[in-house]
Amino acid sequence: MGAFERIRDKLTFWRSKKDPSSFAVLFDRFQTVLKRNNEILEIMADMGDKLGGDYVFDRQYIIDITHRLNDQVYKIIYDLNMLSSQKYVDLYHAYERIHSQIQAELEGKIAYADERLVIDFEDITQDDIASVGNKNASLGEIKNVLKLSTPDGFVLTTKAFYDFLVQNGIDELLENMNIDLERDGSALEALSREVRDKILNGNIPAQVAREVRNHVSAFRSKFKKEKIFFAVRSSAIEEDAEHSFAGQYESFLNVPDDKLLEYYKKVIASTYSVRAWGYRLQKGFYEHEISMAVGCQLMVKPRCSGVLYTMDPISGENDTMVMSATWGLGVPVVSGETPVDRYHVSRDAPYVVKHMNVVHKSEMLVAKEGGGTETIEVPEDLQHKPCLTSDEINHLAHVAMLLERYYKRPQDIEWAIDEEGELIILQSRPLKVQLGYSGEFCMLPDITKGQGIIFEGRGDVVQRGVACGTAFVIRSDEDIEKVPFGSIVIARHTSPKLTKAIRKALAILTDIGSPTGHMATVAREFRVPTIVNTGIATRLIRTGEEITVDATQNIVYAGKLKELCLYELTQDEVFEESYEYRLLRRILRKVAPLNLVDPHDEKFKPKGCQTYHDIVRFVHEKAVDELIHIGEKSSKWLSSGLRRLDLDIPLGVSVLDIGGGVDESAEGNLIDANLVRSIPMKAFLKGLCHEGLWGSEPVSVDLGSFMSSLTRTFSTSVATPEQVGKNLVVLSKEYMNMSLRLGYHFNIIDVYISENVNDNYAYFRFLGGVTEITRRSRRARFIANILEQHDFRVEIRGDLVIGRLKKLSKKEMEKRVILLGGLVAYTRQLDVLMKHDEHVNHYEEEFKKRIGELLN
Amino acid sequence: MASPKIMVIDDENIVGKMLKVSFQREGYTVETFLHAEPALQRLSEEKFDIVITDLKMKDIDGMEVLKRIKKESPDTKVIMITAFASMDTSIEAFREKADDFFPKPIKIDELKSRVKKLLGD
Repeated sequence: MGAFERIRDKLTFWRSKKDPSSFAVLFDRFQTVLKRNNEILEIMADMGDKLGGDYVFDRQYIIDITHRLNDQVYKIIYDLNMLSSQKYVDLYHAYERIHSQIQAELEGKIAYADERLVIDFEDITQDDIASVGNKNASLGEIKNVLKLSTPDGFVLTTKAFYDFLVQNGIDELLENMNIDLERDGSALEALSREVRDKILNGNIPAQVAREVRNHVSAFRSKFKKEKIFFAVRSSAIEEDAEHSFAGQYESFLNVPDDKLLEYYKKVIASTYSVRAWGYRLQKGFYEHEISMAVGCQLMVKPRCSGVLYTMDPISGENDTMVMSATWGLGVPVVSGETPVDRYHVSRDAPYVVKHMNVVHKSEMLVAKEGGGTETIEVPEDLQHKPCLTSDEINHLAHVAMLLERYYKRPQDIEWAIDEEGELIILQSRPLKVQLGYSGEFCMLPDITKGQGIIFEGRGDVVQRGVACGTAFVIRSDEDIEKVPFGSIVIARHTSPKLTKAIRKALAILTDIGSPTGHMATVAREFRVPTIVNTGIATRLIRTGEEITVDATQNIVYAGKLKELCLYELTQDEVFEESYEYRLLRRILRKVAPLNLVDPHDEKFKPKGCQTYHDIVRFVHEKAVDELIHIGEKSSKWLSSGLRRLDLDIPLGVSVLDIGGGVDESAEGNLIDANLVRSIPMKAFLKGLCHEGLWGSEPVSVDLGSFMSSLTRTFSTSVATPEQVGKNLVVLSKEYMNMSLRLGYHFNIIDVYISENVNDNYAYFRFLGGVTEITRRSRRARFIANILEQHDFRVEIRGDLVIGRLKKLSKKEMEKRVILLGGLVAYTRQLDVLMKHDEHVNHYEEEFKKRIGELLN
Repeated sequence: MASPKIMVIDDENIVGKMLKVSFQREGYTVETFLHAEPALQRLSEEKFDIVITDLKMKDIDGMEVLKRIKKESPDTKVIMITAFASMDTSIEAFREKADDFFPKPIKIDELKSRVKKLLGD
């Protein structure tokens, strides 16, 4: 039975029930969502862990774990739809899309990421790797995230490649080949010739040709030129990843735009050259893993160009980078045909030139008029001149180190400097370096001896690894945008919003947080060394401080331990060279990246879900919303089962226990407060009933305020009769949802507290009051300040305050809910007292004094 | 003292590769085999301290490998690894004198400390 039949069946099943389930049943469903959410995050963490090199796994593992993941994701969508009366059936579409892509990977079909055929470099980031190939994705990232100068242009995607193969019957040829190519050299040669012929004589799919033409004419009009020239470069999936494939595929320079498609076919054909094919076979690649995207970059006219290695791969000197440069185009540097200038430069600012070898350069390669390249004589006065000025060396070195820090690996960078002196990055890829240590692997204790330790063994390691850099402490959401590249990010708690900063971070430390939360999953995906739950990072580390995070040993050192970072940079990642590793990594790319970060973003919709992680994030957010909403309206289900809570304060509250919220020994209609067993409710009552917070003296209302209250109507959000009429709390062991009307204001408090950090959240909404809007706003500000000081995310709209909090430990959650109780009691009539702005501060201090002892 | 010698037999390339690197870093000498037959051949030529072998392989069953090693070279320690762990298979492995049994995926650190223990470090 297909997925859609299954969905339809379930929909019918749902409709056939006359009455939506009781609150208790829906609450059960909600708890299932939480449980599944955790399970899925744990599965994702498990998969990410396996890529870290700590485990031996095989194909069976990948099949089993993917199966479990599919199952759980499907079911969590089902659960949310049960909870929300089928509000989110679109999620099934997202699921089907992602699921079939993962399935294609597992079955060994040529996989493409999406339907896009041509993508502009301006729209490319690392996320598009499956569409545009490693090299182009990296260039897009450099352009759009690091904001460095790279050539403009566009990419013909892996989908275009796939369509081309299908249209010309080449996919069938490849699937049906039945020869042992590895052993039979002549068979490989014959097949290679056949495939290449088919490609070179093949037809470009009409849609692909059309889109290329559109992009070309856009560039023509942008630059007001009749003809544009391109560099047409290969960018296969896996090329430039752990395998360099250096020089295996062809690239062409200075191709006129009317010949673009012809050269596109030439690049594609080079995928199947005997050399490239043989290399793949030797490295254990399967044919379906190969997918070729082709980058068309506007031709750069360089004054000089070259290659930079951020470490010297030959001498293994670990404090030196090597630059090679020549006049004109950089091909001779890459091919090693002619002597070029060479500079050995220190890896540290101010990038001192340690050694310089300027050679006689008689020839240079340049773009030929009309297309192609030619070798010409270098003008006399330049032949003995170094290609780079000291300023240029400095700038180049600076950019190179930025790239290395960003990619966390030594880099092999192709660059050019144009006639205007602008540095353009043409390519950056990982460089394999063996460090010149004496033994096979260096001794960590020697490196770290005598270094000051800020803290060690605290918190949970999310992603192992080492980084040294400058700390940046995030104090507010605005700070997330300000994180400088290459910083070590220190934050109070983990949050999906932090994922924005992960790409810029060398390492992450948080005080609070879960190793299986959303942020942790993303940190793992990007391999950013991360320790959460340290408890003290933000207290001990200041912005600007230089530190070293060793998330492998779980130690944070004061100062930069450069040796340790070098050790980390050059660790050989052999695991990454196997098919299973690559397969798992490709699947994880469809699973782990988180695109839906901000619930207020318009992309926060089922349609916006590109990965399983997005789906789960969406479901979790909406499930909590649904529960709050259901809780608000719950009184319509409450024909029976209500009891009253017996409190010391003059407050009438009706209680609905849906399981474990009240001790079983409680009899009759009046429940003693001591018999409440609900974890959040107990905490809330502790704050609410605390002496000194529930002021027993009614505040005298001045006439103006009172008149204002008479003419005021309740805003729509609180106007339903069931809300206005009753103080009601729905309880379970871990949950409370309270609707409270006190005097003239209205509260909703919705809290879940359990031992599982990932499940925990608190939602607090506060509205209304007796006085005019200014005073009510003052009180709103007072509440917002208090909440923010206790880690809530706060929204204020006029006199409406909403505070949200997630994923703290049980103990920390309890403290916050005690605070909410206290806050509700204390602010009952506070608006009346807040005649001046200064009162906000005054009452804040007063409140802190009174609540203080409860929170310690 | 010469470094202890470990042999890994698994028909999945990745297993041998990963274990080789991990144990070489610790100073062991490691040889890997994708098939049991040549592995057993090698074992008849030279003594290994530990053999880590997959339980389900295409040519010869891992259990058979275990029996033959224990017969010919009783001192060699044998660790069985498998993706299809069940109570029955592990009991059978121990009955055939396997020194340990690891379900996949294997946490390398755990395997390392097990190997160390078996070698009496």
